[in-house]
Amino acid sequence: MNQIQKELNLLPENFKKIAFLIMLLTVLFISLSIFKVIEIDNRLVKKIAGSTFLLSLLILSITRNKIEDELTLKIRVKAYAASFIYGVSVTIVFPLINLILKGSFESKKGVHELLISMFIFYFIMIFLMKKNR
Amino acid sequence: MVKNTIKVERAIKNLTQEELAKLISVSRQTINSIEKNRYIPSTILALKLSKVFGKNVNEIFELESDD
Repeated sequence: MNQIQKELNLLPENFKKIAFLIMLLTVLFISLSIFKVIEIDNRLVKKIAGSTFLLSLLILSITRNKIEDELTLKIRVKAYAASFIYGVSVTIVFPLINLILKGSFESKKGVHELLISMFIFYFIMIFLMKKNR
Repeated sequence: MVKNTIKVERAIKNLTQEELAKLISVSRQTINSIEKNRYIPSTILALKLSKVFGKNVNEIFELESDD
């Protein structure tokens, strides 16, 4: 069995701590800006927080679990595929919903929101598939 | 579908799911899924199981009649 067949190249388990630390710092950063402890433009805060939160979710999704075997690998791949399909579906369907409800194709949802929702969908899928394995 | 006799073989060898899982480096849940026919293992895993039980793969795994 070669490396590609064997497993995905996942990050070591302790990267989970790094991901949660980044997430915590993001929440702290948002809180500081909400309570005006630091004076930064809201759009910039949104952009920075979106990127760091996305980074933490990415690290979490590519970090290996305590036990990784072929079934967990299969579940991961299925969850990635499902979240990709979800992302494409949302991209197609949301403008149509906007058109019906607001009369415009324009949406305020950006790339960050879409990717974060895809990651959340991915984690939900992983959770459900692991529960039902 | 593929049916298997892992539960029987495990009982003969007096192994728990956890012990068998450790022997072939997978999770206990994976053994459980294989036993309940919810997951068909790869050839490598099937060979590892056959080595543990000292039997041929086709003695442990068998195609059901409709396949």
